[in-house]
Amino acid sequence: MIETHPKAGYLLVKIKVKEANLDVADQFKTEMFELIDQGNTTLMVSFSDVAYVDSSFLGALVSILKYAMSKEGDVSVVDLNKDINNLFSLIRMNKVFKVYNTEPDVFA
Amino acid sequence: MSDKFKKILLLDDEGFILQMISKALSKEGFECMMAKSVVQAIDILQTETPDIILSDYQMPLINGFEFREIILRDKRWKTIPFVFFTSVTDHEHMQKGLDMEVVDYINKDTPMPMVVSKINNIIHTIRRQHEKSIQEIRIAAEALNLRSVPAQTPEITGYQLKFLYQSFENYPGGDFIDFIQIDDKYTFVILGDVMGKKWGAWFFSFNFLSYIRSAIRLCVFDGNLSTASIIEKINKVIVLDSVLGDVLSTLSLLMIEHDTGKVHYSGAGDLPVIWYQASERKCMAVESSGLLLGVMQNGQYNEKIIQLESGDQLIVISDGMIDFETEDGKKSDYDLFLKKMKIVVGQVDSFDLIKNVTFSSEYSKGFVDDCSLIFIEKD
Repeated sequence: MIETHPKAGYLLVKIKVKEANLDVADQFKTEMFELIDQGNTTLMVSFSDVAYVDSSFLGALVSILKYAMSKEGDVSVVDLNKDINNLFSLIRMNKVFKVYNTEPDVFA
Repeated sequence: MSDKFKKILLLDDEGFILQMISKALSKEGFECMMAKSVVQAIDILQTETPDIILSDYQMPLINGFEFREIILRDKRWKTIPFVFFTSVTDHEHMQKGLDMEVVDYINKDTPMPMVVSKINNIIHTIRRQHEKSIQEIRIAAEALNLRSVPAQTPEITGYQLKFLYQSFENYPGGDFIDFIQIDDKYTFVILGDVMGKKWGAWFFSFNFLSYIRSAIRLCVFDGNLSTASIIEKINKVIVLDSVLGDVLSTLSLLMIEHDTGKVHYSGAGDLPVIWYQASERKCMAVESSGLLLGVMQNGQYNEKIIQLESGDQLIVISDGMIDFETEDGKKSDYDLFLKKMKIVVGQVDSFDLIKNVTFSSEYSKGFVDDCSLIFIEKD
């Protein structure tokens, strides 16, 4: 359910589902934990294909961040649609994750 | 039959058969996804979860039995009811197919209306079983007095306090509500949502509620009535607790000072509280600053003071209230919800109107999570 693209200083992870919800949250978490265990601790998650995110998925995303941080890494997000971007601001997920509009060339 | 449990994955290498079954089932309200090969079917299963799979046996490259084996090996898919639909009907094949934990093995010569009835029956049975299991757990929870929403709201002189709660598809969910009255002077109002759905969230909602209840009581014993400081303490405990470490929750915590009409409000990753000011006849969203409970040690919690005057109203909601199923799919839209509220606040019967616009059977069909709303009005 994810596709990875190595970038300068980070790994871009594209979510390949339209609805990021409870049904896929566990799988997403497992796959992301595997990436972190392989040493990819600086990750940027792209929501370009995602139309809707539910709270279970957000919960998984925060668990992934906490895990990455425990290994001195970081998780940021990019390409949120308007609704998801609004939701991130409303519930202050934008204070938890760095939110990018477009993929940066180098991870700042 | 309700629209629930009516998504079907059809697999057959013959396009004509796919079209025929799909036509018959669509008429019965099924949402049909069609695959002409096992590879295509697996591809669909990556992003969709059907309620039942109907598969042919004889197909080039990978046959139906091999497909069934793949399905059984994957924990995401193995519980999806599986039916063979094939013209290979010798006893040996039928026996082998039935031994693969399938619910039925249907001969392709069976008249289409009968096939449809069989599938409908399977789905009915599954649904009934499902409802029965939920009911049994509900009874057990009731017996243990496990409630994540109160049986009733407290009476406070000078205020009206009401709430609405609806579970998602009758599953208990992660929302929790409580009211704690201290000496006729203060009332704490709690609304939270443990992230996740169904059983996991429901179970953890009790844990969270217990923490919050005890934190409030302990802080009050110490003379500490600051909602920000209470939420800060709750967060610290949750971040350090290894059992809850992976569970996250929103929280709106309000404390009403009965005498003064002051409401102290702090939030953790919650949605803004809607405040209707009667004197100005205007509605505004009051935002808090804090992060979800359990994310990090420093949750950045602030405390807003809302001075309620006569006729003022407050609406506190969980995120399920702003999620909608639309023709284009699911979406979350707080502004749309706020717009709807602006029409109904400031009336004598605002609460009933809110109930009608948000919890009417027509409207709540679009709900995709459990939904909670607390309404506070100063007389």
